[in-house]
This record gives sequence, structure tokens and C-alpha cells, in this order.
Amino acid sequence: MDIAHALTWLEHSPLGALARSLGVWSYGIINLAHILGITMLFGAILLLDLRLLGAWRSIPLSAISRPATTVAMIGFCVAVMSGLPMLSVKSTDYIGNPFLLIKFPAIALALANVWLVHRTEAWRAHRTRDLMPAENRRLAVGAILSLTFWLTAITAGRMIGYW
Amino acid sequence: MTLRASLAMLLVATPAFAHHGWSGQEEKVTSLTGTVVQGVSLAGPHAGMKIKVGAQVWDITFAPPARTERAGLKEGLIPIGATVTVRGNRSTEPGHHEMKTIYIKHSAAEYHVYPERE
Repeated sequence: MDIAHALTWLEHSPLGALARSLGVWSYGIINLAHILGITMLFGAILLLDLRLLGAWRSIPLSAISRPATTVAMIGFCVAVMSGLPMLSVKSTDYIGNPFLLIKFPAIALALANVWLVHRTEAWRAHRTRDLMPAENRRLAVGAILSLTFWLTAITAGRMIGYW
Repeated sequence: MTLRASLAMLLVATPAFAHHGWSGQEEKVTSLTGTVVQGVSLAGPHAGMKIKVGAQVWDITFAPPARTERAGLKEGLIPIGATVTVRGNRSTEPGHHEMKTIYIKHSAAEYHVYPERE
């Protein structure tokens, strides 16, 4: 199934019909939820990534990683649950929109990076002991990639409406 | 440049960057008369409908849904097949048959979506 077919299918799905039936303020409110989800996601990620890059060394990494991961996960879920209905309202309007083709691969790369970072020995160990310089460097690379992928996704997402 | 002057410039410049602004549209207001092929939808960032003018289908874009509704337009009010006349600013993009619409007339009923632009 190519992208045009997928978008056509999404527009004609029950989700699309529901999203179009919720009244004249619904799109704005769903859009608001999307923004709140993104601010939770990116705000939490920014704090964690800056810590991984060497900011606030006096604060233990584990004191930041736990709340940041939780808030980011909730924010991501809010963004997905609001983003899908927003996209489904007039999905076919986005056929040929290049920013969509940047945004979703960027999200996929960002999630792959989360998965890879969480699999590292450094990430597993940071809750129980101080990390070695090499481990800190490994997590810093993850932080750079994280900021790059999430900022790409957010930028492309914002530009979708301006294409 | 003072901060105040910068802020003033920013305020003046902002409308040009407004979401789905009028910057991609012609300056002049023109008319189209055609038949409705897809009725008014009040869903999404902007209300809209599709009309057929000759052999060409045009995307008729209105204001955000709440404003369009305040202008009196409701879904189902103008039936498919009805003849309507719209006024607005056409897209400047070649091959893009879209009009940001400020006014629509259907038989005796007139709807002023952007009266300040008429």
C-alpha cells in the first residue's frame, strides 16, 4: 500500500468520520492537545539530553532520567493520540506533502535511537553506579542523535500546514 | 535599532506568516460561478467545499470552521448540484485550482465569510 492509498484509507476510516463530526472547535482543541503532547515530549527530552551532554553534572543522572522518561512517554502518547485524528480529518490533502515524508521517518529514527540507548550497558548501569567516561560519551552520542531526530520531526511537522 | 522598533517590525511582519495565510494568493478578488460537487465541510483547520466550473473542479477554502459557521454557513445547507457564485483570491500556483473565499452566494442567500476583505 503506498502513501496516497494509506492516506485515502485513513480519511475514509471511522476515525476520520469521527474526527470530522465533533464540531467547529474540535480541530483547534485536538491541535492544542497535540501541542501539549509535543511540549511534554520535547521539554522532558531536552532536559535529559542536555544532562547527558554534560549540563547540571551536580544532579545525579538517575534523578533526571526517571521523571524525564515518564513525562516524555506520556507526551509521546498524547501527541500520537491527537495527531492521528488530526491527520485523518482531511488526509488526502497531504498527498504529495514532502514534510510528511520527513516527519514520520524522523520519528522512526528517534524511536530507534531511544531503543538503542536503552539497550546500552551505560543506560542500564546509570541507575546503580557512576558511569565511566566512555559510557558517558556513548550516552552523549545518543543525546545528540535524539535532539537531531526529534527537532527534525517537530520542524517538519510544523511545516506540513505551510506546504 | 531599538527593541521597540524591532517589536513593531515583528508585529507588522507576522500576518504574512500566519498559518495558511493569503501570501500564496492573488492580490485581486475575482469571481467563480459553478455547481457544488462536494458540500460545505466545517472540519479541519479550514472549512471548504468543491465546485465545478466548466470541466474544472475548484477547491473553495473558507475561514476556520467557527468563523465560517458564524458567517451562517452550515454543513448540508447548500445541496450538491446547486449553482453558487463565490468571490475570493485565487492561488497563484500554476495548476492549483484553489480560491480563498471571502463571499459565497447561493440563490438568494449570501454569506460574508471575510466581510473586511470585500
